[in-house]
Amino acid sequence: MAENKSRLSRRNFLLAVGAGGAGAAAAMLAKGVPQAETKAQTEDEAKSKGYHASEHIRNYYRTTKV
Amino acid sequence: MTAAVAQVRLSPPPVAQEDLARADMYALIARLLYAPDEQLLRAIATTDEIVAETANAPLAEAWRALASAAESCDAQTVKDEYEKLFIGVGRPEVMLFGSYYLAGFMMEKPLALLRDDLAQMGLARNESVCEPEDHFSALCDVMRYLIIGDESRDAASLEQQKQFFSRNLQIWYQRFCDAVLESKSANFYKHVARFIKVFFNIESESFEML
Repeated sequence: MAENKSRLSRRNFLLAVGAGGAGAAAAMLAKGVPQAETKAQTEDEAKSKGYHASEHIRNYYRTTKV
Repeated sequence: MTAAVAQVRLSPPPVAQEDLARADMYALIARLLYAPDEQLLRAIATTDEIVAETANAPLAEAWRALASAAESCDAQTVKDEYEKLFIGVGRPEVMLFGSYYLAGFMMEKPLALLRDDLAQMGLARNESVCEPEDHFSALCDVMRYLIIGDESRDAASLEQQKQFFSRNLQIWYQRFCDAVLESKSANFYKHVARFIKVFFNIESESFEML
C-alpha cells in the first residue's frame, strides 16, 4: 500500500511539473522528432545486415547474450 | 518442448504514460547532445508547448525557450556551435563524458564501473559507435531503454532506473549544464542545458519519492 501511494504521488508530481503528460514529450514523437531506434540490435541482425550508421539512428546499445 | 515454450513471450506489461513521456525526453536529450540537425531543430520548433498543472512550471518555460531558439537558429550555426563546444580543436570547451567530471580524466575508473553496470544489465556498446559509454547521450539512451524496454526485455523497475541515474548521471549533470551555461561560445546550447537541468532536477526529485 505504502509503495502504491508513493508511486501515485510520484505520478502526480510528474504530471504537475509537466514531465509526465501526453502533451509533453509524446507530442514531440508524433510530430516527428527523429528518435533513437527503440529496437535493440541483436547480434544476428548485426551479422546479417550490418549496421547503417546514420544521423537518425541513435542506438548505442544492443542487448548482449550473456 | 520446454525450449519451444520458453520462446513464447507474453506481451510486456504496459509502460505508464508518464514513463513513456520520460523516455521521450531522454531520447530527445540524447539526440540534442549527439548530432543536431535541421530535422531535429524543425521538429522542436514546431512542437506543442509542454502542459504543466502548475503555473510558470520551469520545465514548460525551459521548453518554450528551447523551441523558440530552435526556430530562430539555422542548423549549420547550431552544428558549428556544437562542434566548437563539445568537439573542439584539441580540447573541447565542455566535456560530454562523465568520467572527466568524476575522475578528472577520460577513460578512468568510473568508465570501468559503468561498463560493469551495463554488462550486468546485458547491455554493451554498439560496435558502430566510437564514443565511450559515458557520453551524455549514451547514458540517456540507457535510461530510455531501461524505462521502456524492448521486445526482448521488459522495462526496468523504477528502483533500477533510480540506481543507474544516481550513479551515472545525477553526480555530474549539474556541473555539465553549468559549464555550458557559462560558456561564451554557447547560444542554442544554453537553452538545451537549461532544459536538461530542469528535467533532471525533476527526475532526481521524483526518484526521491520512491
